[in-house]
Amino acid sequence: MSDRSAPRYTLIGTGIIALVVAVAAVLARPAHSEAESSAARPANTLQSLAELDGKAPSRRQLNIQNWTTAEGARVLFVEARELPMFDLRVTFAAGSSQDGNTPGLATLTNAMLNEGVAGKDVTAIAEGFEGLGADFGNGSYRDMAVASLRSLSAKDKREPALKLFAEVTGKPTFPEDALKRIKNQLLAGFEYEKQNPGKIAGKALFSKLYGDHPYAQPSDGSAESVPGISLEQLRAFHAKAYAAGNAVIALVGDLSREEAEAVAAQVSATLPKGPALAKPAQPVEPKAGVTHIDFPSKQTHLMLAELGIDRQDPDWPALSLGNQILGGGAFGTRLMSEVREKRGLTYGVYSVFSPMQVRGPFMINLQTRAELSEGTLKLVQDILADYLKSGPTQQELDDAKRELAGSFPLSNASNASIVGQLGAIGFYNLPLTWLEDFMQQSQALTVEQVKTAMNKHLAADKLVIVTVGPKVPQKPLPAPTDKPSEQPLGVPEH
Amino acid sequence: MNALARRAAGLLLSTLCLPLVAFAADVQPTHEFILDNGLKVVVREDHRAPVVVSQIWYKVGSSYETPGQTGLSHALEHMMFKGSAKIGPGEASRILRDLGAEENAFTSDDYTAYYQVLARDRLPVALELEADRLASLRLPADEFAREIEVIKEERRLRTDDQPSAKAFELFRAMAFPASGYHTPTIGWMADLERMKVEELRHWYESWYAPNNATLVVVGDVTADEVKGLAQKYFGSIPKRAVPPAKLPLELAEPGQRLLTLHVRTQLPSLIYGFNVPSLATAKDPRTVHALRLISALLDGGYSARMPARLERGQELVAGASSSYNAFTRGDSLFLLSATPNVQKQKTLADVEKGVWQLLDELKTTPPSAEELERVRAQVIAGLVYDRDSISSQATTIGQLETVGLSWKLIDSELDELKRVTPEDVQNAARTYFTRERLSVAHVLPEESAHE
Repeated sequence: MSDRSAPRYTLIGTGIIALVVAVAAVLARPAHSEAESSAARPANTLQSLAELDGKAPSRRQLNIQNWTTAEGARVLFVEARELPMFDLRVTFAAGSSQDGNTPGLATLTNAMLNEGVAGKDVTAIAEGFEGLGADFGNGSYRDMAVASLRSLSAKDKREPALKLFAEVTGKPTFPEDALKRIKNQLLAGFEYEKQNPGKIAGKALFSKLYGDHPYAQPSDGSAESVPGISLEQLRAFHAKAYAAGNAVIALVGDLSREEAEAVAAQVSATLPKGPALAKPAQPVEPKAGVTHIDFPSKQTHLMLAELGIDRQDPDWPALSLGNQILGGGAFGTRLMSEVREKRGLTYGVYSVFSPMQVRGPFMINLQTRAELSEGTLKLVQDILADYLKSGPTQQELDDAKRELAGSFPLSNASNASIVGQLGAIGFYNLPLTWLEDFMQQSQALTVEQVKTAMNKHLAADKLVIVTVGPKVPQKPLPAPTDKPSEQPLGVPEH
Repeated sequence: MNALARRAAGLLLSTLCLPLVAFAADVQPTHEFILDNGLKVVVREDHRAPVVVSQIWYKVGSSYETPGQTGLSHALEHMMFKGSAKIGPGEASRILRDLGAEENAFTSDDYTAYYQVLARDRLPVALELEADRLASLRLPADEFAREIEVIKEERRLRTDDQPSAKAFELFRAMAFPASGYHTPTIGWMADLERMKVEELRHWYESWYAPNNATLVVVGDVTADEVKGLAQKYFGSIPKRAVPPAKLPLELAEPGQRLLTLHVRTQLPSLIYGFNVPSLATAKDPRTVHALRLISALLDGGYSARMPARLERGQELVAGASSSYNAFTRGDSLFLLSATPNVQKQKTLADVEKGVWQLLDELKTTPPSAEELERVRAQVIAGLVYDRDSISSQATTIGQLETVGLSWKLIDSELDELKRVTPEDVQNAARTYFTRERLSVAHVLPEESAHE
């Protein structure tokens, strides 16, 4: 009864309601707080906490099986018999970093997959999936393009759904009228983005951070690049980028190994033949500095970035843990504590490393009322500089490790989350034991190792900064709460 | 609950031959009980992974608020993270974070809810923390002074600087002339500016009682386990009288209303809303199920009528959607929205014409058997897919309970829906898709203002 994603390629959120009803229904999301606050905190009177034995919790054990199809697609499979359904996710190295001189080509190709196959137009395809209760999904990003299917596992549902999925993914016909329509929708999407200061900031940031590198372009392309893209370009892109050798097939659900092999073989055999595409080149270091874009909003959006790491980088566990303490999205991170809790300057502030095929960004993202934007920017820069200089405290590191161990069981609780993990492991060519390895490596890290890794990849004076908002006279920041910061209560362990 | 509308909308056909496979897996055992202090507890077992979600739902939200005090429920939600008897401000979040839990809260017209997702052995901590802030919230004035600034930033981020959200906020205010649904959940900025922590204390004392809450636990637990824990942590919190809560009832036929807005956008868009009942207020539930079916026919998938005809066939819109939430405490709205295909020089007037064609067709022509069969297939599959997420199962249960319905509806609604006939669909369309029930918004780019 809750939302499940509609199996349709929505380019601009299908108008106002799709955008707004979602917000209205769960308005008021993170009412959250910080960490090292204070107040008259009594000693630990939480009985339940004292009773925890401090061991890492148990988790669902995954038996990841893998093999390669005759055509060279890598397959990862987890058998999960509890629910009579399965999830199939095929990931191609067919994102916008393969666009070449035609930004938007990868997105258009992906969006056109379900617009026509031999004997079926777009509506017939949609009726085919929906008549079986199956959800088809597609999406295109910087590194990857994805086609996915969720279906009931009973043979009379599974087989026709798979047949249609294989055709759509491997043998799309790319009808001309659909291309025109989807281009128009993309163009409408570009217009729509112009009202959104966060979007504007994000686009400018990637452009400044990546310069001439393909990651600089938005995945969807631009109003200049999209209209000229031809059917021939789509067909050529599909032939090389949707080739079996360039695909990773992730499967989770109510299937035997034999059935899973048959599913993978069918999907793989229908794809064009060909090898994996080469990764894009590594980006070159950008020029640090601030870019301001004037925009008539109430808030100013602030984005700060540097080049981060690629997915193979051995420093990933240290950087991930280091970032978790700095601004990893939860409450009690340094950024959240200083910017939101102690000063009430923002609704949300977070930092993130996005490891990609080649060096992805490290980003800090927040927004605040325009008249405090300069002071807030300075504050955020100071927090980062201080963190790089002193590193995490032992307490922060211990807490972060407990958090990571405690959250591990959540990461593979549903078929949807497992299929996502398998897709990433396959796509970035990580070992099958990657999740376990990551956990072990993280738990072994020292304060010094985290600090060293952070400083190896980040520097306080290398930030590429974009601000989007109105030019208004600036005010000084309010004083932070003056309550003494106490050692956190902590969770018993060891 | 849009997906419920979509999924459950089918099944009008009388022969409902559920494929065996759809229910091959046993339905999860679900238990309910009520503590002596009135706290209702629903437990659904899902033993696939050693994790659990705990949610507590309070029967209070923005539709309970009065003019001048809008945004109270949501502001109180924020302050629920600012300390109670056993813990200081922000400390609960830190404890839960260090346990690897995901936690958050959300507020809507009809409810305020708090949740934690965590490894099963940590459930007692979540419940003890939740019980503590129900029993003994501190509400420190200095914390409120900073938190209200955060809430204003939230409003700027999600509404004031989002032209579409701003338009929809004003549209709702117009479409609900009589009920508390008029009020935006986050509150009007003028009310946030003058909100006092004393008002929050009064709000908390009025509504945060065990007998006004539902605790929902889904995951790798048993009913006995949860019963013991609920009794241990919540059992001693006394029952308290809560104010009478009146259902938000609307005028049936307020007359056509038109709102013309110029906002900072490049593309025009159209919003339609018809005043309709919900399952909680309808005299005949079949009319509500018919409306749910209509929503699925219009926008229940990429083969549904709005994408197939408006977006592709006529290329009238760049995007369009419909939604109907049947699971509200009071009367509801049947919503439609669309952005014209400006590349094809389509205007709002063209789009309105196209929308009315769809609505009028529903009045005159029964849906085809194939169409109904497709909706039915999605409903059946959706029942299985939804079980992949413990959080979505808990949310469904909590929401139904909080708007005055029963979680048991999940199991019985297939039967309810199959009673709906194609004639019911036509009757619902004729009754509800009228000008007297309609609110219209024309959301236009600012440049047009100078014309």
